[in-house]
Amino acid sequence: MMHKNRKHRKIAAFFLLGACVLIFFILNICIGSVRIALPDVARIFSGQESNGTVTRILWDIRLPRAIAVLLLGGALSLAGYLLQTFFNNPIAGPFVLGISSGAKMVVALVMVFLMGRGVRMTSATMILAAFIGAMLSMGFVLLMSHRIHNMSMLVVSGVMIGYICSAVTELVVTFANDADIVNLHNWSRGSFSGMTWENVKVMTVVVAAASLTVFLMSKPLGAYQLGDVYARNVGVNLRLLRVCIVIFSSILSACIVAFAGPISFVGIAVPHLVKKLLNTTEPIWMIPACFVGGSAFCLFCDLLAKTILAPTELSISTVTAIFGAPVVLWIIKRKANLRR
Amino acid sequence: MKNYYFSTKKMCVGYDNKPLIKDMEIELREGEILCLIGPNGAGKSTVLKSIAGQLGLLGGAVYLGEDDLSEMKAEELAKKMSVVFTERVRVELKSCRDMVATGRYPYTGWFGILSEADERIVDEMMQLTHITDISEKDFGKISDGQKQRVMLARAICQEPEIVILDEPTSYLDIKYKLEFLLLLQEMREKKGLTVIMSLHELELAKIVSDKILCLKGEYVERYGTPEEIFESDFIERLYDMNEKDFIGNEKLLAYMKQIGKYER
Repeated sequence: MMHKNRKHRKIAAFFLLGACVLIFFILNICIGSVRIALPDVARIFSGQESNGTVTRILWDIRLPRAIAVLLLGGALSLAGYLLQTFFNNPIAGPFVLGISSGAKMVVALVMVFLMGRGVRMTSATMILAAFIGAMLSMGFVLLMSHRIHNMSMLVVSGVMIGYICSAVTELVVTFANDADIVNLHNWSRGSFSGMTWENVKVMTVVVAAASLTVFLMSKPLGAYQLGDVYARNVGVNLRLLRVCIVIFSSILSACIVAFAGPISFVGIAVPHLVKKLLNTTEPIWMIPACFVGGSAFCLFCDLLAKTILAPTELSISTVTAIFGAPVVLWIIKRKANLRR
Repeated sequence: MKNYYFSTKKMCVGYDNKPLIKDMEIELREGEILCLIGPNGAGKSTVLKSIAGQLGLLGGAVYLGEDDLSEMKAEELAKKMSVVFTERVRVELKSCRDMVATGRYPYTGWFGILSEADERIVDEMMQLTHITDISEKDFGKISDGQKQRVMLARAICQEPEIVILDEPTSYLDIKYKLEFLLLLQEMREKKGLTVIMSLHELELAKIVSDKILCLKGEYVERYGTPEEIFESDFIERLYDMNEKDFIGNEKLLAYMKQIGKYER
């Protein structure tokens, strides 16, 4: 009887998150420098109106951007959830562990190198470069975690790695050609603007494939939460599982950095809020819920980034930090209370 | 004479390539209970972890029937052997029932969803371990003794043929200690469960075990039936207890003497 209620709560939570995604998605499409009324949107999508600036804005700017936010927000939150599970640490995430910054550094290096030779970067090269960077940082963090068993120190070393990578990135940006800088500067602060359909296509394939694979890993991930001894005892291949978690969290983080730059706090705050909402830690619920929750959160934040100081656009990290950082503080405080 | 259910051949255990205990030979028939005793730091947990495949062997082999444990598939082994170790399990938002249900892992499908039959087994094991009343309580918020029983329920939920228990009675009060040992004997009679565990309470080891393994130093100090172990002053020597230290305190001396003796 009790677990019937728990199940209902989870399903209700999914409906709530889904509704948020839908509402924010529509608002993102309608609101911007030009307001488009909902009936007009419907008319344009049904093909009754195909000319004019409004149609172009909708098809070429708003829609790809909103889809990108939906996918990348989900990916970011899922990457955070994977890292938290992996390190058994509620404040692990791609940003605090320096993984985003590592990815950013390699992308910036490759970008400047290619731009200097007049070559434009394709989406696939971006992801690959970001993946290599993410794996580099992840490698460092893993090396440190072998020596350091204290979780807060691990996070501190991650933050340090992040600073080093950011410093290198700044250096590269400073020495890049003037024309490149505008591009690089926006991106290196984190922004969802300037998404093309080509970007969207590539990220859809990568994010969908990675997220589905992660979902298929929910059973061993659930056993992993019990700790090494019991996971091994029920037959989990720990080494393989660890490798998979590292690779897929890096792919997901890489995807975000490649297209939107580093975005802070989503990876920590969203899984935590979703966990509270669903009242469970079971991966089979948490994986899809984190994805949907991340989408909703990022759509909401992007909406604010676009509108608060319009026509100037805020960097997305500014907004995610305002809403995400307090959640992190709250987690830390709760943990401290529990220890006492 | 090969019908032992569990055996080790020249097993050598230790950490980081440093052998701790060498040439261990253990032989158990199906349904036998083996207790490991010995002073603190003698390596009881290390031996149990090695037997359970949690720690690589430094030499020799462990057999279940005819099968070498190191060559068995992990999923296959999971259906035969389960463990309760002393490591703290830190989980969030998991009820005791959820925790017990994790024992069904080797039997469920790709997504780990419990069938009706699985649910029934979970209920049954919770009844056997007397934790039905705390079923919906948060695992993180119950007492150590209750946790111990939940973890035991989880272990038998795995429907093992052999269970490895590291100090399973340590947090239990006297009532649950006795109930726990009763449960082990019940499981042995009904399902032929073989048990290997470490115990600090010698009085209990004396009455429940079929075999006792005494650990101290580099080799197995002694391996045999309780009658063979609890004789003359062996226990005193095993734990480095000296009669002289107790002179003047007759009660403690008598207690020490009585523990070392085996009575039918």
